[in-house]
Amino acid sequence: MIHSIFSSLDKKYNFSQAQAHCDVPCGIYDPAPAQIAALTVVRMLDLMAGLQGGDDKSKSEYHNSMSRYISVKEEHAEKAKHEIRVIWGDYFKKDKHPNVDELVQRIMQLGSKCRQTADREAGLAFVEAINEFAAIFWETKGVAIKRAKAPYAPSLEMVYPNL
Amino acid sequence: MLPEYKEGDFVIINEIAFFLHHLKKDDVIVFHHPTYGFLIKIIDSVLPEVGFFVSGSHKNSLDSSKLGLIPISAVIGRVIWHIRKPSLRQ
Repeated sequence: MIHSIFSSLDKKYNFSQAQAHCDVPCGIYDPAPAQIAALTVVRMLDLMAGLQGGDDKSKSEYHNSMSRYISVKEEHAEKAKHEIRVIWGDYFKKDKHPNVDELVQRIMQLGSKCRQTADREAGLAFVEAINEFAAIFWETKGVAIKRAKAPYAPSLEMVYPNL
Repeated sequence: MLPEYKEGDFVIINEIAFFLHHLKKDDVIVFHHPTYGFLIKIIDSVLPEVGFFVSGSHKNSLDSSKLGLIPISAVIGRVIWHIRKPSLRQ
């Protein structure tokens, strides 16, 4: 209500603007880091599933590798969430993109599920939700997109800007 | 942690010079920076009669390591009211 009043006044009187939380005040945003991070999550899930030697709990090599895969999975799930939050919080305007909030919430939840579990399906859904976000992002830029398989494992289909 | 101030928010600032000379740590100020333009930041520390070191509410935000000391003369006002842009998240 109050915000609406100020919005109307702003349209009439054109208030001065100040940047509050810019990472760099030059408008550089790109969903690619989030997409790569999500892809890394699936890669780690695959490496975890394929790791041999789990039955022998004394094998330090096994535990070393598994803990590293889990650590990287954790890190990249959180990184993907962070990158999406920054674009969402700093770039998207709610009045122009009303459905983004719901998608971002889904991405946050999927990212958390990827951290909490070793569920590959959750990883795939995480990648696809971020692809969806990337498609909306590039649409706002007026840039056409293409879908193509990533040229590295796990070779999932990704959304790329068709520049 | 999400930024405290998001694009589309409004702020009301106090521009009265007297108050600008009595700013303290944790006050939120609007100031002009020669490189980055008008910015909103939180005062981290005060250098009496000289200026301020500032930080943002976002962990990647520009802070005094890049902005340098903000002289009192660059301060436009202190934020006294923050009107947030409505969001579905609220």
